[in-house]
Amino acid sequence: MSEDIKLIVNGKRIDGRAFDELRNIRIEAGVLKNADGSCYLEMGRNKIMAAVYGPRKVQPRHLADPVKAIVRYRYNMAPFSVEERKRPGPDRRSVEISKVSREALESIIMTELFPRSSIDIFVEVLQADAGSRTACLNAASVALVDAGIPMRGIITSVAVAKVDGHIVLDPVKEEDNFGEADIPFAFFIRNGKIESIALLQMDGKLTKNELIEAVKLAKKGVMEIYKLQREAIMKKYIVEDVE
Amino acid sequence: MRSIVLPGDLIATNPKVAGHGTYIENGKVYAKFLGLLDKTDTQVRVIPLRGKYIPSAGDVVVGVVKEVTAHGWIVEINSPYEAFLPSTENPEYKPNKKLNEFLEVDDMIIAKIANIDPKMRATLTMKDRICRPIRFGRIVVINPARVPRVIGKKGSMIKLFKNELGVQVVVGQNGLIWLSGDRRKVNVVEEAIYIIEREAHTEGLTDRITEFIKRRKAENE
Amino acid sequence: MNIITDVRKDYILSKIRDGERVDGRAFDEFRKIEIETGVIEKAEGSALVKLGNTQVIVGVKMQVGEPFPDSPDKGIIITNAELVPLASPIFEPGPPDENSIELARVVDRGIRESEAIDLSKLCIEEGKKVWIIFIDIHALDDDGNLLDASAIAAISALLNTRVPAERFGVGEDFPLPVRNLPVAVTSMIIEDKILVDPSKDEKSVSNSFITITTDVDDNIVSIQKSGSYLLKEEKFYEVLDISIEKAREIRELLKEV
Repeated sequence: MSEDIKLIVNGKRIDGRAFDELRNIRIEAGVLKNADGSCYLEMGRNKIMAAVYGPRKVQPRHLADPVKAIVRYRYNMAPFSVEERKRPGPDRRSVEISKVSREALESIIMTELFPRSSIDIFVEVLQADAGSRTACLNAASVALVDAGIPMRGIITSVAVAKVDGHIVLDPVKEEDNFGEADIPFAFFIRNGKIESIALLQMDGKLTKNELIEAVKLAKKGVMEIYKLQREAIMKKYIVEDVE
Repeated sequence: MRSIVLPGDLIATNPKVAGHGTYIENGKVYAKFLGLLDKTDTQVRVIPLRGKYIPSAGDVVVGVVKEVTAHGWIVEINSPYEAFLPSTENPEYKPNKKLNEFLEVDDMIIAKIANIDPKMRATLTMKDRICRPIRFGRIVVINPARVPRVIGKKGSMIKLFKNELGVQVVVGQNGLIWLSGDRRKVNVVEEAIYIIEREAHTEGLTDRITEFIKRRKAENE
Repeated sequence: MNIITDVRKDYILSKIRDGERVDGRAFDEFRKIEIETGVIEKAEGSALVKLGNTQVIVGVKMQVGEPFPDSPDKGIIITNAELVPLASPIFEPGPPDENSIELARVVDRGIRESEAIDLSKLCIEEGKKVWIIFIDIHALDDDGNLLDASAIAAISALLNTRVPAERFGVGEDFPLPVRNLPVAVTSMIIEDKILVDPSKDEKSVSNSFITITTDVDDNIVSIQKSGSYLLKEEKFYEVLDISIEKAREIRELLKEV
């Protein structure tokens, strides 16, 4: 960590954003023909494609659960998604991200409606900047809605970081690499209201009060993203209307 | 126009009105999946826009035989779940004959879901007037969520096809539709079904389809 | 799952509803912690930790290697966990699954983010040679909460580690510069109740966990919510306070290592 990199100058962040400002987000629902539901999402320089298949027959069969659908989530980085080519296939980081992301979505999917089936969520990181796991979850959530999967609400995700002593929303790469802490969140949102925490990780160093501030900032951020997720779905189905 | 709702949208505060596509938590009624809100004084329900066919007892389905077993046929019904047709539920079946003399792999049938157990194992029956092996006609596949519109209110669309074009239509709840009649007229129905599928959640659909059929009929004559 | 733990579910749950735990502990009480260091002579550092009946051994091995290009003057930590079949009927041989990967990564984060090891003192020749610390977590008996046991064992083993400089011909051996004591506290959430240090029995009734790791100054250095469940914000703050307090108690034990 080079101490000389200034991440905050005159109250602005390295990319000119305010502390509580998200990167640009673009969401498009229903972009793949094969998948039952899909979504393309950009969050800053993250470019994410998510697809949902299911509920469908479980392959291999012995994994089937007699009382509920199994949910599988695969977070995968394309080899060209980062500066230095990433070796294809799952590494330890991807395995962990896939696990906690799956758990977040599983907590709101009504799996009990589909015994012995699987709901498979595939998320490809085509280009990665910081916060790719949160971008992926946002895309996956839209793809699940697009697939018509029964859920208690929607999952919306954002990260918060501590950078040069400030708590900031939705960090970029430099802030993530040289910042003091990174906290990815995902919330269960129902009817436009944040109900509870679906994903929470953290690494770095924070006091309890800073952590509480981070939660507050994340909640503000996800409400903005939630609106964009909704709009993306609405847009797709209203466009279909006009045809 | 009916409004589009997303999972978790609050759609009623009286649990008594909760209908299909909703769930109740703490006395409130929420949408369960993406769909169109259909609200009357006595009921709210969500009409799905997307989603797989999940078998339910009494449904008419169109399926393909996938496997012949010792006691019946395993039938693919365009769903996460396969269905089983016991030999005793096929009225054509006669004991001491081989099962594949009646239905062979890849044969198509119209059948009814007789029963579905909690593990979602569906049993079929063909003991119903509507059921039959399909040996002629045409199959059209659509998104199962759009099936109700193809049937229409009290079967209005199906009647329309029958009366205007003389085409017989059996709509499987699983999105497979069997059409039988004059080849050109079947073409018109197939095209009409695709229009219904695409515009399922728009107003004035019946009028547009009636108009479409009349226009195509005039062209054909 | 094991049929015996399965049939005990009702009893366990019924006790919890009455504010009791099957082993008589209070909700915020850890099982007895025993730490024994230096158990493996061939390792540079090691520790066997017993947390109730849960047993885990951590061995630290060190090697000289090349630094990462983005930190040419710092040593390297590599943490790995093996949930070997010996430790539980549900562990299977083969490459690490998501649970062992998660365990290793959460333990690693606690050590790394608390800057428990002064990595700048592990540079031998800038840009060329640094010390690589391999922390290997080896489960022996999983009676629940392997994670906290592993985290305690890891920091204990590090406290016990001597850098084998002589063997590698780079000077005299010296104790590993450990300057912080991260402690992981895992809680299980069930029906709005928080149970710290869940046993295997207790884990049969809930799959909702959160691990919070704190350092000597009560800073939070790592959080991992694990399991598919929804966590209320108020509940999170409650767990946070409990975790900070419990970590303080456990840290007292580490100071004796």
